[in-house]
Amino acid sequence: MQRHELRGHLREALFIPSMKATTKDQALEELLDLFVAERYVRNKQLVLEMLRQREMLGSTSLGKGVAVPHGRTTATADVIIAFGRSEKGVHFDASDEKPVTLFFMVIAPHNDEGNIYLPILGSLVTILKDTKKRNALNKVTTFAELVALIDGE
Amino acid sequence: MGNSELEQLISLQDLDLMIEESQEVEKLGFSITGCSELRIAREELAAKISKPLLFRYERLRKKLKRAIVPVKNDICLGCFLHQPTAIGAQAREGVDLFTCENCGRMLYWLD
Ligand SMILES: [Zn+2]
Repeated sequence: MQRHELRGHLREALFIPSMKATTKDQALEELLDLFVAERYVRNKQLVLEMLRQREMLGSTSLGKGVAVPHGRTTATADVIIAFGRSEKGVHFDASDEKPVTLFFMVIAPHNDEGNIYLPILGSLVTILKDTKKRNALNKVTTFAELVALIDGE
Repeated sequence: MGNSELEQLISLQDLDLMIEESQEVEKLGFSITGCSELRIAREELAAKISKPLLFRYERLRKKLKRAIVPVKNDICLGCFLHQPTAIGAQAREGVDLFTCENCGRMLYWLD
C-alpha cells in the first residue's frame, strides 16, 4: 500500500510522552481527552462509546507492544492522530498478550476529504511493523522526535 | 426529541459504518473477532430508538449514505450549505432535531 503522509495529522497538543493509564479503558480515555481538550471532539461520551465498541470488534493492538485505537465518528470533522507512550505498558487484550507501550489513536469523520483515513491506518501499521522504528518510538520524549521518526523513512 | 435520541442515532450510524468497514480494516492487519457481538449491540441500540426516527434514519442512509452529518461553522458537512445561525443556537440546546433544507440530512452541531 502507498504510504500516506501522517505529519499533517499529528498535533503537538495530542502527544503524551508518559501516559498515566494502567487499564485499557483508561488508555482510551486518556488519549481521547486530548481530542476533547483541543476541541476536535465535543462530546466525549459519544466517541468513547464508539472506541469501546471498536475494541469489541477486536482489539486494536497489533501485538509487539503497539496499539492503534481508531474509528470514524459523526461527532468530528477532522482526521487527527494522537500519540501516547506508556513506560510500564497497558494490558490491551493483544493476541500476543504483550502490554502496550505505544499508542496511536486515530479519529476520523465518516466522510473524510480525499478518503485518507484507511491509508493513514495502513501507513501506521507499516511503520509499527518495523522493529527499529518501534524501538525508537519507545524512547521518544518530544513531539519533534516523534515527527522526525514518522517523517524519516 | 431530546439530545440523547440524536446521540443514539449518531452511535447507531457510527456502528453501522464500523460494521461495513470491518473487512477493509481487517485487510490492513487488524484482527477482527467480534462481528457478531457488534451486530447484537447494533440491534440492541436500534431497539431503543423510536420507530419513526429509526425509519427516517434507515431511509436517509439508503438514499444518501450518511443520515446524520456534522455542522461546523454553521455549514452542513453533507452538502456545504450554510445553516441559519439561529437554528444552531437552538440545536445546541438539544430541544429539537434539525434537518438540512438542502440535502435533507439530520444535523449535529460540532461547535
Ligand atoms: Zn446539507
